[in-house]
Amino acid sequence: MAEPRLSQEQRQFRVYEIFVQKDHSSPHVWVGSVDAGSPEDALVLARESFLRREPAVSLWAVEQTAIHRTDYADRDFFAQETDKRYRTLAGYSKANAERWRRYKRALLDLEKDFVRD
Amino acid sequence: MDRPTLIALLYQLADDELVVGHRDSEWLGLGPHIEEDVAFCSIAQDEVGHASLFYNLLADLGEGRADDLAFLRPAARRRNAVLLERPNGPGSYLDRPEFDWGYTIARRLAYDLFDQIRLEVLAGSSHVPLAQAAARIRREERYHLIHHTTWFRRLATGTEESRLRLAAGVARTWPDLGGLFALGEVVPGPVFPATAEELVDRWTAALEPLFAEVGFDWPGRPDPGGPPGPDGRLGQHTPDLDGLLETMGEVYRTAPGAAW
Amino acid sequence: MDRTEERQAEFMAHIERGGKVEASDWMPDEYRTAMIRFMQMHALSELMGALPEKEWVPRAPTLARKLSLMAKVQDEVGHAQLILRVAEDLAAPLGKGREELVGELFTGEAKFHNVFHMPAPTWADAGIIGWLVDGAAVISQAALLGSSYAPYARVLQRVCAEEGFHIQHGESICLALAEGTPAQRQMLQEALERWWEALLLFFGPAETNSASATILLKYRFRTRTNEELRQKFLTKYVPRIQALGLAIPDPALRYDETAGRWIYTPPDWSKLKAIARNQGPLSQYRLGLRRLSYEQGRWVRDALMAPARQAV
Repeated sequence: MAEPRLSQEQRQFRVYEIFVQKDHSSPHVWVGSVDAGSPEDALVLARESFLRREPAVSLWAVEQTAIHRTDYADRDFFAQETDKRYRTLAGYSKANAERWRRYKRALLDLEKDFVRD
Repeated sequence: MDRPTLIALLYQLADDELVVGHRDSEWLGLGPHIEEDVAFCSIAQDEVGHASLFYNLLADLGEGRADDLAFLRPAARRRNAVLLERPNGPGSYLDRPEFDWGYTIARRLAYDLFDQIRLEVLAGSSHVPLAQAAARIRREERYHLIHHTTWFRRLATGTEESRLRLAAGVARTWPDLGGLFALGEVVPGPVFPATAEELVDRWTAALEPLFAEVGFDWPGRPDPGGPPGPDGRLGQHTPDLDGLLETMGEVYRTAPGAAW
Repeated sequence: MDRTEERQAEFMAHIERGGKVEASDWMPDEYRTAMIRFMQMHALSELMGALPEKEWVPRAPTLARKLSLMAKVQDEVGHAQLILRVAEDLAAPLGKGREELVGELFTGEAKFHNVFHMPAPTWADAGIIGWLVDGAAVISQAALLGSSYAPYARVLQRVCAEEGFHIQHGESICLALAEGTPAQRQMLQEALERWWEALLLFFGPAETNSASATILLKYRFRTRTNEELRQKFLTKYVPRIQALGLAIPDPALRYDETAGRWIYTPPDWSKLKAIARNQGPLSQYRLGLRRLSYEQGRWVRDALMAPARQAV
């Protein structure tokens, strides 16, 4: 019949990392991976491996070897040591609120003047 | 309303789906690839779920309880196509199962393509509950067709061996196709607005290009006049169905009507 | 200390502080090998665990039960898939993939859980398995959620979530039988009697100084002992089983308030030895089914892998 039996090195699956988008308001989220040989096969298999109970509008299959990753050991890659509140909501809300309160107090004083008059 | 046609049609639908879903379920835990085992089981569940829907429509029409219709009727009253009662391969799911994936993919693709066309026809049925059920089921069947078509291509183009085994599966499927399209007691009309010839035309138009794409010879047009052998649509079946029904009803028959 | 010893010391300190390990981290060979083996056994147990209940899918006595049992068994195979993928990623640097990890089941190198070597001769067995065996598995798996190996702990969250439905499904079958005809109640009682010892054996022997058990605790794969888990199982399920009017086949079974633990007749621990050699009641039969289908499916997997080869 056919080709000779494949050697062990030749018999390998490709791994596809799977991302699911549950609705149009949500981003794609990684859910796991499947062993397959092609992206088309991976999508067909992934649908039932990961979406038996969840609704979705989109499915991505990305070959594992295509993913570039940071090294967990390189914690400093993610370090944020100095004060970054200048770029957060928390960095402003208190100070701004203080100022608005001062305006509000001044406004109340003005109203009292009007009433006296 | 043509009630005999409606009843006959519902039994064909329900019995087709139950028998094919049951055969599919025998693969559980024995699939050739673990991810595929999971995917194929969803297809099996869909079919049994569809059967349940149709048996419930029959119950609504006064034919009896859905579980009784599913588990108690003898082979002579079943209206599934013989194609679907054929075993998955030599052996049984409990004893040396030598199930044939090439045959499974060929049979399932042939059947689900037929089913899709049948459901499209039913979406125009004058019996509203049936038309509504058909519309919903058809959407779910889309995945089945993608699954079977993907596998058909994969086996046809994968290795020499997979190509030969798929071709053998196709060859085993073909003689039973006439029995799939045979209408039995169903008379074309408002309840079922199509003829068997039209079904075969549409099915051929969908499948022939796929065969050409992978370089398979087209084995020929199924004869909707009925099969050369037993016609499942007229209650003529093989010993395989007897075995299937025996297994399927084994526990149910110990106490029909009991709560399980 | 040389560099390796230093790294091992750092690694152990990290583990002991409750630190987590990811697939690409440096780890001692012993950790990698033991974790692969542990996950492989879990995955293969899920795969083999599908078979006893699957026997009842074609014979399920209602359309609803047929669907429910199919979905439950499908989940078990799905769990095997989820855990195998995690094991495969960890084993990749050793040149081992799916085929090798599953193949070792048939050489006997990799074992599957003792409970799945037992027979399931009636429909009621399918109910008992879904309720009590899955109940035991949930208790066991909950103790793994804190595992030091993070990819495994993460995938177990999904596994545990799905197990919730399994227990409901099993309970539903058992409740229906318990409230059914005398024949149905008797079938359930007999199934319980058949499975009771297996449920005690499920968690493994109480005191174990085995090398593998020591490693499990040392590396924080698991955070509870066998006996702690068995006691949790008894606390949860003995009252429920008795509430259904079932008789547990152990006259010595009672809760000792003073000691704060269940007293029970020890099961026959020697049965675990036979099972470990794949000589349990249905070990060879079930392995035979799986091996046959695996060999039969080899040409299919070759076709699946073909695009990878053709691209090269």
